Amino acid sequence: MAEALQKKLQSELEKYKQMQKDVSKSMSARQKLEAQLTENNIVKEELDLMESSNTVYKLIGPVLVKQDLEEAKATVAKRLEYINGEIQRYEALLKEMEKKSEQHREVLSSLQQEYQKATGRAVAKV
Amino acid sequence: IFHPQVVKGCDEQILHWKKVSGDYEALDDRLRTLPDHLSYDVMVPFGPLAFMPGKLVHTNEVTVLLGDNWFAKCSAKQAQKIVDHRVKYVKGELDDLLKTRKNFEARVGFTEDLKELSVGALGHIGSHLESSSVIMHRVYFLHIFKNLFSLFTGKQRVAHKPNSKPKLDTVLDLEEVEEEGKGVEADEEYCKILSEKELWARLDQLEKLEELQDEEDRLSDTGDTNGDDTTSSSSSEEEKEADCSQPEKEPGPKTSWATSSPANGQLVSQAAPGGDTTKDEDEQEEEEEDCLPTIYFSHTVEPKKVRICTGKNTTLKFSERKEHSLTHSKRKKKNNGTNGHSHHELHKITSPVDIYRLFVDVKNGEPVPRKSILKSRSRENSVCSDTSESSAADFDERRLVGRSVSHDDAPHSDTSDGHTEDDSPTALPRTPSRFEAFSGTVVEKDPMPTAVPHLTIAPPALPTILERKQEEGTTDAAPPVEPPKRVSKFKAGRQNR
Repeated sequence: MAEALQKKLQSELEKYKQMQKDVSKSMSARQKLEAQLTENNIVKEELDLMESSNTVYKLIGPVLVKQDLEEAKATVAKRLEYINGEIQRYEALLKEMEKKSEQHREVLSSLQQEYQKATGRAVAKV
Repeated sequence: IFHPQVVKGCDEQILHWKKVSGDYEALDDRLRTLPDHLSYDVMVPFGPLAFMPGKLVHTNEVTVLLGDNWFAKCSAKQAQKIVDHRVKYVKGELDDLLKTRKNFEARVGFTEDLKELSVGALGHIGSHLESSSVIMHRVYFLHIFKNLFSLFTGKQRVAHKPNSKPKLDTVLDLEEVEEEGKGVEADEEYCKILSEKELWARLDQLEKLEELQDEEDRLSDTGDTNGDDTTSSSSSEEEKEADCSQPEKEPGPKTSWATSSPANGQLVSQAAPGGDTTKDEDEQEEEEEDCLPTIYFSHTVEPKKVRICTGKNTTLKFSERKEHSLTHSKRKKKNNGTNGHSHHELHKITSPVDIYRLFVDVKNGEPVPRKSILKSRSRENSVCSDTSESSAADFDERRLVGRSVSHDDAPHSDTSDGHTEDDSPTALPRTPSRFEAFSGTVVEKDPMPTAVPHLTIAPPALPTILERKQEEGTTDAAPPVEPPKRVSKFKAGRQNR
C-alpha cells in the first residue's frame, strides 16, 4: 500500500516538475518578448528623430537592404503591436499554467501526507 | 533575507551600464573628430591575423544601428545626436539601479541591526531565536512594504525598527504614522538612526507604563492576591513575550492569558493579570481599554466570599475585577440601560464570575446579586472556605439551568465556576420565576435560552466565553464531556468535606 502510494507520489512529482519547466519556459519567452519590445520602442523613437534625407537600411541576413523611412516606421510599428499581442498571450498562458501547477501542488501534498501516514502505520506495525 | 543578493545583482548591472556609457563616450569623441579630415590612412584588419593599409573615406557618413536589424545612414552630427540620446537612456538606467541598490543596502544593514537589537532585547527575557525570528519576519514584511512604497514614491523611507517585544507591535503601528512623515522627508540613514532611538525610547516608556500598571493592579488586589498577582503578572509578562510568536490561545490559565494578547500585550498586561480564565483577545482589548481608566470595584457589594473557590481567593478577585471591567467596558460600549443590554454585557462570559452575574440579576449599573437568596442560604459563610459543600446540589441545578454554553475554559474556570455556580444554584431554587426572568434577560444571549433545555440533557454545562457561542453547537457535545470533569471535582470537594 505504501509502495503503491510512493509510486503514485513519484509520478505526480514528475508531472509537477514538468509543469514547472513549462512555466519557466513560457516565462523566459515572455521575457524575451519584453526585451524585443523595448528595443523596438527605441527604434521607433530613432526613426521619428530621423529626417528623410538619410536612408534607412534593414539587415536581412548578410544584406543591408535599403528601406523607405516611412515604410520602416510602419514596419516597426506593426512589429511593436505584434510583440504586445504575443506578450499578452504568453501572460494568459502563464497564468493558466500557474493555476494548474498549484492544483498539482495540492494534490502532491495530499498524496505526500497519505504516504507519510501509510509509512507511519507501517512503521508502527513493524 | 535576499536583500544582499539583490544588492549584488544591482552592482553587476551598474557595472554593465557604466561600461556601456564609457563606450558611448569614446564613440562620441570619435564622431567628433572623424569629419575633421576627408580621409584617413588606416590599417584595416584583414581577417584575424592580418592588417592591410587602407583609407577611411566618406568620413561624414555613418551607418547607425537603430536596433532590431534596422540601420540608418546619417551624418556624423546626426549620429552624435543619436549617441547623446542613448547616453541619456543609459544614465537613467544607472540612476535607477543606484537607487535600488541604496535601498536594499539600507535594508540589509537594517536587518542586521535589527537582528542584533532583537537578540539583545530579547536576551534578558530569555528568548528564543524563534520569537525574534518571527518578529524579524514581521518586521521584514513591514520593511518590504515600506521600502516598496518608498521606491514607488521615489522617496526614502525609514524602515521601522521592529520591537522585539510583542507589545511593541502596537508601538510599531503607532509609530508608523510618525515615521512616515519623517521618513519621507529626511535622509534615509539619519532617519533610521533617529527612529531606532525613538523606538527604543518609546519601548522603554511603554515598559515602564506596563510595570506601573501591573503594580497598580497588584496593589488593588490587596492582600490575598498580592503574591499571585506578582507571580502571575510577571509570569504572564514573560509568557507574553515568550509567546509573542504564538498568538494562538492556549488552554493553560496563565498562558492563555498571556497568549491571548500577543499583539496587545500592552493593554492586556495592564488589566488584571493572572486571571485563570481565558479571555478572547478582542474582549480583552475591549475590556482592558476601558478598564484601564475605569476600573472600580462595584462588586464589593457582592459577597466575595461566595465566590471564593477552593482557596483561590485571588482568582475570585481577579474574576470579579474582570467582571467589573467587563461590565464597565461593555456598558460604555453598549449604552445599556435595559436589562437586555446589560445582559449583553453579561453575555460575554469570560469567567465563571460572569456566569454568576447572569444569575445574579441583570445588572443595571451594578451587580445586584440575589443576596437574599444567598443570605438565606448562608452561602457566604459556607462558601467562604469551602468550594461548594452544600451548593453541590445547587450547583447541579444551576448547571441545568444556566449552562447553555460549554467552554474551553473549563479547566481554568473550574474553580471560579464553583463559586458562581454556588450563587446561581442558590438563586434557582429560590426563585424559579426569577430563573425564567433570568432566561428572559438572557434572551440576548442566544445560548442561554436554548441552553436551558440543553442543560437538562447535559447537566454540567458550564457557561463558556460568550464569544464562543459558535461553539455552542459543538458545546452540546462538549458539555457532556467537560462538565463531567467539573462535576467530579466538585463532587470530590463535596465528598471531602
